[in-house]
Amino acid sequence: MWQVGVDVGGTFTDLFGWNVSTGERRTSKVLTTRHDRSVGVVSAVDKAGIPFPDITHFLHGTTTATNAFLERSFPDAAFITTEGFRDTLEIGRQHRQALYDPYQRKPRPIIARRFRYTVEERMAADGSVVTPLNIDQAIALAKAIKAQGLQAVAIGFINSYANPAHEEAMRAVLAEHAPACDVVLSAETRPVFREHGRFTTTAIRAAILPVMKDYFDRMAEAFRGRGFRGSLLTLKSNGGVMGVGLAKDHPEELIESGPAGGVSYASYLSLTGAHRQLIHTDLGGTSYDASIVENGAGLVTRNYELEWEIPLVVPMLDIHSVGAGGGSIAWLDEGGSLRVGPRSAGSEPGPACYGRGGEQATLTDANLVLGRIQPTLGGKMTLDVEAARRALAPLAKAIGLSLEDTAEGIVRIACENMGQAVKMVLLSRGRDPRDFAIASFGGAGPMHACFVAEAMNIPTVVVPRYAGVASAFGATCMDIRHDLEEFFYSPVAGVDLAAMNRLYEQLETRGRELLKADGVAAADIAFERSAQMRYVGQTYEVEAPVPAGRLEETHRAVITEAFHHEHRREHGVSSSDFDVAIVSLSLKAIGKVARLPSETLEVKDHEVRADTTRPVYLEGRWIETQVINGNALGAGARFIGPAIVEYQDSCAVIPPLGRVQVDELGSLVVAVHLGAARPAATATATAAAAPALATAP
Amino acid sequence: MDRATPQAVAPDSHGNQVDPITFEVLRNVFNYACDRMTTVLQRSSFSPILADMLDFSNAVYTADLRLVAQAANCPVHLAAMAFSAQAAVAEVNFDNLHEGDVLVVNDPYKGGTHINDITFIMPIFHGGSILGFAVSRGHWMDLGGGAAGGQAFTGTHIAGEGLRIPPMKIFNKGEVNQDLLSLILNNTRTPHFVKGDLQAHLGALRAAEQEFHRAADRYGFETVTGAMNDLIAYTERIVRRSIEAIPDGVYEASDYADTDGLSQEPIRLKVQVKVSGSNIEVDFEGTDPMAAGAINSPPANTASAVLYSLQFFLAPDAPANAGMFLPISIKLPEGCWLNARWPAPTIGCTTLTSSKITSAIWQALGQAIPDRITASTCSDCNWFVASVKDEAGRTDVLSDLPAGGWGGTPYADGMSVTMDPLGNCMNMPAETAELLFPVRYEAFELRRDSAGAGRHRGGLGAVFKVRFLGEGELSMETARTLEGSPGANGGSHSAVQRGTKIRTDGSAQVIGGLDADGHWTNPLLSAHRFEPGEVFMFETTGGGGWGRPKDRPASQVLDDVLDDYISLEQASAGYGVAIDPATMKVDEAGTTRLRRAMA
Repeated sequence: MWQVGVDVGGTFTDLFGWNVSTGERRTSKVLTTRHDRSVGVVSAVDKAGIPFPDITHFLHGTTTATNAFLERSFPDAAFITTEGFRDTLEIGRQHRQALYDPYQRKPRPIIARRFRYTVEERMAADGSVVTPLNIDQAIALAKAIKAQGLQAVAIGFINSYANPAHEEAMRAVLAEHAPACDVVLSAETRPVFREHGRFTTTAIRAAILPVMKDYFDRMAEAFRGRGFRGSLLTLKSNGGVMGVGLAKDHPEELIESGPAGGVSYASYLSLTGAHRQLIHTDLGGTSYDASIVENGAGLVTRNYELEWEIPLVVPMLDIHSVGAGGGSIAWLDEGGSLRVGPRSAGSEPGPACYGRGGEQATLTDANLVLGRIQPTLGGKMTLDVEAARRALAPLAKAIGLSLEDTAEGIVRIACENMGQAVKMVLLSRGRDPRDFAIASFGGAGPMHACFVAEAMNIPTVVVPRYAGVASAFGATCMDIRHDLEEFFYSPVAGVDLAAMNRLYEQLETRGRELLKADGVAAADIAFERSAQMRYVGQTYEVEAPVPAGRLEETHRAVITEAFHHEHRREHGVSSSDFDVAIVSLSLKAIGKVARLPSETLEVKDHEVRADTTRPVYLEGRWIETQVINGNALGAGARFIGPAIVEYQDSCAVIPPLGRVQVDELGSLVVAVHLGAARPAATATATAAAAPALATAP
Repeated sequence: MDRATPQAVAPDSHGNQVDPITFEVLRNVFNYACDRMTTVLQRSSFSPILADMLDFSNAVYTADLRLVAQAANCPVHLAAMAFSAQAAVAEVNFDNLHEGDVLVVNDPYKGGTHINDITFIMPIFHGGSILGFAVSRGHWMDLGGGAAGGQAFTGTHIAGEGLRIPPMKIFNKGEVNQDLLSLILNNTRTPHFVKGDLQAHLGALRAAEQEFHRAADRYGFETVTGAMNDLIAYTERIVRRSIEAIPDGVYEASDYADTDGLSQEPIRLKVQVKVSGSNIEVDFEGTDPMAAGAINSPPANTASAVLYSLQFFLAPDAPANAGMFLPISIKLPEGCWLNARWPAPTIGCTTLTSSKITSAIWQALGQAIPDRITASTCSDCNWFVASVKDEAGRTDVLSDLPAGGWGGTPYADGMSVTMDPLGNCMNMPAETAELLFPVRYEAFELRRDSAGAGRHRGGLGAVFKVRFLGEGELSMETARTLEGSPGANGGSHSAVQRGTKIRTDGSAQVIGGLDADGHWTNPLLSAHRFEPGEVFMFETTGGGGWGRPKDRPASQVLDDVLDDYISLEQASAGYGVAIDPATMKVDEAGTTRLRRAMA
């Protein structure tokens, strides 16, 4: 019986499978079939030689929902809201992205104004009815929506988080007068307060619902045809998975389905490896993603913006992206400073060394000139070193450094930018970089990870074993998980514990039902409680754990203290001068999925000697550097940098004095030498460096 | 500790003191330090005006108090913060600064703007010497005065606007100044915010300190200092180059505030933007004298307004620092309302007055660079402060600033309902307001026909409504109630702004601006009373139009009608586009006729 993880990426569809009974592992990689992604998925399974009837759990991550949103490639949906709030989706929070750009524009609203309707109704903040729903208006609206031929309808009423009765009544009217419509309610999508986030999230659910329904139906159909009888599960933004039956109705929870697999792999490493606190980083062609993994789980945020002023208020892995990747272009800005990114040459035309017409120097060109990338790329394509040098020459001339120092400067600037992004992730969540190790994913990741670590003063870098199919591997390490939430505003001092107990019980009942629908057995169900809390007067919440079981009088102090602790951790301050209030109650409902037993390799401590060397420019000079075949490294292998470790799809650059050891999971663990002296890449140094140009490879 | 081989080196052709790679790295460190200050302040402050509306700015300075980098949520804080910091350090005396000291000042006449903007200044020491300064400025909800939020528009003396704190230490070697803290707590309507917000500002300052320490540990004191100097020179180069791209000449424009709250006549300002080579002089000769009411602008505020207004068209992406101030000089006639002197009241200077300075400067630039200029924005941020009593008789203070639209640009329509250039505050969500205050928000949506027509129309303004559930008082400052924002290159004016009270019986009364009969009421409200159940409605204006309305493609005009951004009437009267209301299609022949008749 097999558990199979698949990552449907933009270019490749990756598969990792393991046999639950025998422990056997298989991987495969095929091209993604863009017209119908299920075709590529099926062929990946075939290529791995896993029979569909033998698969118990099929877990896959997909960027389909994200792309549909970003490209706005979904059918028009309707939005119905309270009179006076027709434009909440368009106005946002009335601020702008760039402080001084007179020409800036805001993202296109998810639902066009002509399809946004209002109706007379009003709830108060305490859930009492101020104005009943005007049924005549509601009926007229339902008919208008039907006449327009709109398929999906989002309903978002002010204060519906406190009382959903009017949203439900509006749905009933639609069910009668526009029965073909898919209707979603803001009070069900996310019953949290602050209308902008709740409405936006609801509108996104409605808009991409038809897209994801079609996607999952096709996949289920293709699988059925091949005799699949297991659970078809998809990765969620929160770092868990859910059955596609539910996923079809919750497409807004799939926005980070793509990157979730990699984070899950890092979570697996954090549980099984020597480092419990990891920074998951993924460097691709155009962007660098970073997120925090602690104690086996990715850190989650509720303050996520998909685009400017388009928040998505579902718990999502806190993944930050910066525009730094292999294709990032190095350029001189108007003030004459050397910059790297965020503009990227992408894959077309790509870096200058690809020879496809790119003329601007990219990060990849810099690495090539420095000898860090092999020009033959393991035989896959030939990179043009001369083209890279030509692209770099004007920059070097303008800043007065040698070609190599310029290239190394470009790498350094890019790594510093990445480091800053990582620091922002950590510090915005109150974490100290020194407590973390960097886990490096993505083709270009391991080439830069040690330099990013140096920039941030982080002592350790981990390069995982299954880096080539990381997201697919990660998918097989995930539990089914639903995040439930109910608005519950009360200062802790006066909180009605009986009501709180009731609400948690209701949330657990709902969680149990959802997990049952995903096919989870009662014995595999677990719950974790928490509350969104804040100091009275604040308008931002912090999530704090709440004890399981029946809450008693003594728990007031426990909950308050837990909040102070979390607030101190996230924001660096806490104060007993202020009253503490609960804003909403949250529940994680977890369905355990069979876990891949951590495969520990036999460790044989031995020093590795490279067969070959090549000149690599490091720290301001050419060094004859050992080149090591990464695939041949056994557990316990160790060596000291400088070194290049080459894999099928990537290579790792180990700077001088970096100490490498392969651990029992097969990961490369690098102890970065943080005391290393930096080269004097100064204007004066240039003159001395210039003659060396002639002898460079 | 010293892995920092790149030290200060001999200046290169730009006169740089630091190598280009280290420079770029440190440039990012300075920006990052400011961003981090912003994150800390936003996430740990206790009052909604800071945490939710982001009415604050953070910056780092050299040891001699030249601005290095700034994360300005409020451009109007741009230069003003430097004036405050310089005044504070001068008064306390540089030699009296110690590690752990934090200075505070809000005095508009000691480099400040209005009393509510309070500035905290911390020296950053490294190895016993001052490496630089971290400065954090926030708008505090209430520091006393004759009306909530200091908005006493009937006053003629700054003493009526709240507690004016001269430069002094709020922290002395890490110890809080209890006397000063007690004094502040005793003089505010919102004492419950004070300690939390103070703590948040301190957290922001410490974040900057930490980043500077890391940089100096790694690269050395001299290199960090050198990079700060280089960064200022770098911005100066960018700004000078872009001034050179503007044709030399003297460009004039004027604008006005509808009233100072007391006058029946507008208060006018005149500006001459004199471009010469890589320098700009901004001359306010001919501007009206000091006003009796509270819209006077102290020099620091006027300087900020001038600089941020120019920044949009000179160097929107360059690090905002002292380098951009160098090529720009300001000539302020003595005694004019943009050069306010004690004891003139100034509460309206940041929100009302700066935006008029921007509008005038942009209109002047429009003559110099017509193909790059945008039309005027709403040019006000419609800031109001209301106090409301709840059932228990407790009074709380609520503040919001319903934005208007931005002007059309050479490339596109303006942004709808977006905070005016002077700031970048967020609005108050209805559900937050209703959870925290005894009010009901009844509308915040786009206002049809509020934008100026044009080839690229302005963004739309908004209709804002709040119902008082208990007894309340509302103070507000605004303008653009006599005419809307001007267009550019043949674009039209936007609609006028208007404040209205809707009584419990549904009857409406204009309490600020023009009513249906053309009767105008002074729109600066000072503690205007509202009974329980009464509604305050404010209609903001959109931005001015860019280019001639008759050049806007008819299909776009039709789209605007279908989206209800404009009415059928405006389609025909404003754009010369005839649309058949039965089919909702463009009537081509009718359109040709209408457009031929347009000038």
